[in-house]
Amino acid sequence: MANRLVIIGGDGAGMSAASQAKRRNPTLRVRAFEKGPVTSYSA
Amino acid sequence: MVDDTDALIARTPEEFRRKLDIEVHTEHQVIEIDAKNQRVAVQAQGAPLRWEPYDELVIATGSAPIVPSWDGVGARGVFAVKSLEDGVRIRQYIDSEQPRHAVVVGGGYIGIEMAENLRHLGIETTLIEQLAEVMPSLDPDMGALVSQGLRDLGVRLLLQHSVSGIEVKSGRVRALQTNAGIIPCDLLILGLGVRPVSELAHAAGVKLGVKNAIRVDPYLKSSIPSIWAVGDVAESTNLITGQPGYVALATVANKQGRIAGLNLSGASIPFPGVLGTAITRVGTLEVARTGLTLAEAQNAQVDVVAVRIQSETKLGYFPDVSSITVKLIADPKSGRLVGGQIVGGTGSGKRIDTIAVAATAKMTIHDMVDLDLAYAPPFSDVWDPVQIAARALVSKMSQ
Ligand SMILES: Cc1cc2nc3c(=O)[nH]c(=O)nc-3n(C[C@H](O)[C@H](O)[C@H](O)COP(=O)(O)OP(=O)(O)OC[C@H]3O[C@@H](n4cnc5c(N)ncnc54)[C@H](O)[C@@H]3O)c2cc1C
Repeated sequence: MANRLVIIGGDGAGMSAASQAKRRNPTLRVRAFEKGPVTSYSA
Repeated sequence: MVDDTDALIARTPEEFRRKLDIEVHTEHQVIEIDAKNQRVAVQAQGAPLRWEPYDELVIATGSAPIVPSWDGVGARGVFAVKSLEDGVRIRQYIDSEQPRHAVVVGGGYIGIEMAENLRHLGIETTLIEQLAEVMPSLDPDMGALVSQGLRDLGVRLLLQHSVSGIEVKSGRVRALQTNAGIIPCDLLILGLGVRPVSELAHAAGVKLGVKNAIRVDPYLKSSIPSIWAVGDVAESTNLITGQPGYVALATVANKQGRIAGLNLSGASIPFPGVLGTAITRVGTLEVARTGLTLAEAQNAQVDVVAVRIQSETKLGYFPDVSSITVKLIADPKSGRLVGGQIVGGTGSGKRIDTIAVAATAKMTIHDMVDLDLAYAPPFSDVWDPVQIAARALVSKMSQ
C-alpha cells in the first residue's frame, strides 16, 4: 500500500485530506508543503 | 470507520506534528510536479531546490483573486482580498494613508462584505457592479434587496457600470475610469472573484475542466493516477444538473478534503456533489442561496417555475420581528425542488439549509409543504416562510 503522501497547499482542503488520511492510516508518512507563512482553516 | 473531527482544531504546524504526526512545511513552495517519476520540486527560501518523492499526491493549491489587466492595477492603494495577510495590508494602508474615498469593484459576497467594513470605518464607499443588481449568485429580484441593504449602510452603488482603467498619481491610485466617467478614489478593492491555482497541475499534464479547475472523478482523483485534487483548485459536480461546476467555498473544500483523505486511507467513497449553498450578511440583512438560480437553470437548459414570497421571521408581536423574502425554484413537471434564495432580517439566512436538505433529498415542493418543521411564536409562524413559499409554488403550478 502507498506510504508516502504529499500534500501541496496547507489550508482547509489540503489539511482536511492530510488529517483524515493519517488518522485512518497511521502508517502513512504525510508531508504538506505550504508556500505561505501559516497553515490554517481561514475561511 | 474513524471520522476525524478533533483534528480540525489543529492549526499550527507544531500542532499538526505533535497531535497528528503530520509534517507541515510552511514557506515551502512546490514549483513543479514530475508526475512520471512521482516527485515534486520544493523550494524554500534560501535553500537549494529539493525533490520530494510521493506515492500519492494531493493538489490543494486553492484559488487566487482574479486581477484584471488594467494599467495601474499594481499601484499603491489597490488591493485584492484573499488571505488574512491581505486584510492586514489593507488595514495598514487605511491606518497610515487615511483614505477618504474607497471604491469596491464587484458586487459578489467579498465585494459587499468589504464595502460594509469600509463604511464601518467611516470611509465614503462606492461599489461598482456591471450587472443590474449586486450578488450575481442570486436572481436579480433577490439581488435588488441586497442592493437596497447596501444603500441603507450608506454605500453608493453604481450598477450596470463597467471599469476600463485606473488612474495613478505618484504611484498611488487616484481614480477609477468607468463607462460613466471618472470616479476619484484613494483606495480600490477588487472583488472580481477567484480562479483556481491550477498552473502546476496543468504543466504536469493533469486535465483541467470548468474555469480551468482540475477535473476530478467522484473519488477526487485527477486524470493522472496517484494525483488527487481537492478544494478551490478542483471542480465539483452540481447535484441538480449532474454537470461539473466550480464552487470556491470552504464548505466544499473541507468536505472534498475529508473524502479524499478517506479514499487515500483505503476507503472508496464518492463525493456526491454540491448545491453551492452559501450565506452572507450585509448590515442586519441575511442573504443565502442554494441550488440553481433562474439564470443557471436557463444555462443548463433546465425548465423551471419560480415563486417569491414575503413573510416574517417570527410572530408579528415580537419587537425584533423582521421581514424575510423567500424564492423557490422547481421543475414544473415533477415539482422537484431545484433551488432557493433567502434575503431577510436576523433569523432568515440559515433557513436556506432546509431548502438545501430538501433539494439534496430530491424532494418535491409538495413534500416540502408537508415537512414537520418546528414552530413556536419566537421562531416562526405556524407555517415556516420556506413552506409558505412551497405552498405558493404548489398553487402556482396547479393553475
Ligand atoms: C474574504 C473571503 C471570505 C470568505 N468567506 C467564506 C465563507 O464565509 N464561507 C465559505 O464557505 N467560504 C468562504 N471563503 C472561501 C474559502 O476561503 C475558500 O473556499 C477556502 O479557503 C478554500 O480552501 P482551499 O484549501 O481549497 O484553498 P486555499 O484557501 O486557497 O488554500 C490553498 C493554499 O495552498 C497554498 N499554495 C498554493 N500554491 C502552492 C504551491 N505551489 N506550493 C505550496 N503551497 C501552495 C496557498 O498558499 C494556500 O495557503 C472566503 C474567501 C475569502 C477570500
